[in-house]
Amino acid sequence: MITCEGVRAALPHRYPMLLVDRVVEMGNEGIRAVKAVTLNEPWYARLGPQATRGDLAYPDFLLIESWTQTAGILAKRLAGEAADGQVMLFGSMSGIEFHRQVFPGDTVEQHARLERAVNDTMIFEGDSRVGGEPVLTIGRITMAFRPGERLNPAHAGPAAG
Amino acid sequence: MTSPVLAAPRPVREPARDEGSGGWSAGFSVAIDESEPVFAGHYPDFPIFPGVCVMECVRRAAEAAKPPESGELRLAAVESSRFLAAVRPGDELAIELSWSPRGEGWRCSARVATGRGQAASVRLRYRREAEA
Repeated sequence: MITCEGVRAALPHRYPMLLVDRVVEMGNEGIRAVKAVTLNEPWYARLGPQATRGDLAYPDFLLIESWTQTAGILAKRLAGEAADGQVMLFGSMSGIEFHRQVFPGDTVEQHARLERAVNDTMIFEGDSRVGGEPVLTIGRITMAFRPGERLNPAHAGPAAG
Repeated sequence: MTSPVLAAPRPVREPARDEGSGGWSAGFSVAIDESEPVFAGHYPDFPIFPGVCVMECVRRAAEAAKPPESGELRLAAVESSRFLAAVRPGDELAIELSWSPRGEGWRCSARVATGRGQAASVRLRYRREAEA
């Protein structure tokens, strides 16, 4: 539904931190997107000749980042023009559970649902799945749009991820 | 598992046991250099150290200071994380950790500060890895 060029246009993230490949489905309350993990991930560049399976597990917290970027695409659409010129940041998260590790060759499907929106803050929940099996559960993540200048150290805002 | 963060946490306070609670505490420092690869894409012309990378620094510090009696631990959950201020290239993260026993596993709570004040708080939960 949103192909790679659309994802790139919707998010300010770039290599090596653009962690969504394609949006499969998006409505007003939920979004589903995919991230394919390959052996060419930049994080594997420093591995020596004898990498173990454990070395090749996709970094757990980047799975959260990929999920959050997915939710961010929906947040941006819901915010509409209010998001123009603003930076999307996550303020807090809770109840994130890891069920199993993800490896090259896995295609991760990110499912994010809007739980509620309060002023300029949106709260999302959902999970990450590989082959239909949950690998990560997201209890809740809060996200907000903030003007870039608020991030200046002299005006540190309440959200900063 | 490989890490998206190059900088390694440097111990500044050796793990110490709190006899009252049975927990452990320790202190670490992480220098966030502008050469960290994530800055290239987060974001171009506007480098902010990603919140998940702050969490990664906490995790690596936590795992470098595991309680000696904990056995093999595996990350089970991020119970909570709060991000209070942006972390930028050149910042030095001061991480204060405290491990406490929690049921079958352990919890590690961390406070993260930069020179400008508190930047984040992170609470991780680990479960004991079944003996092979």
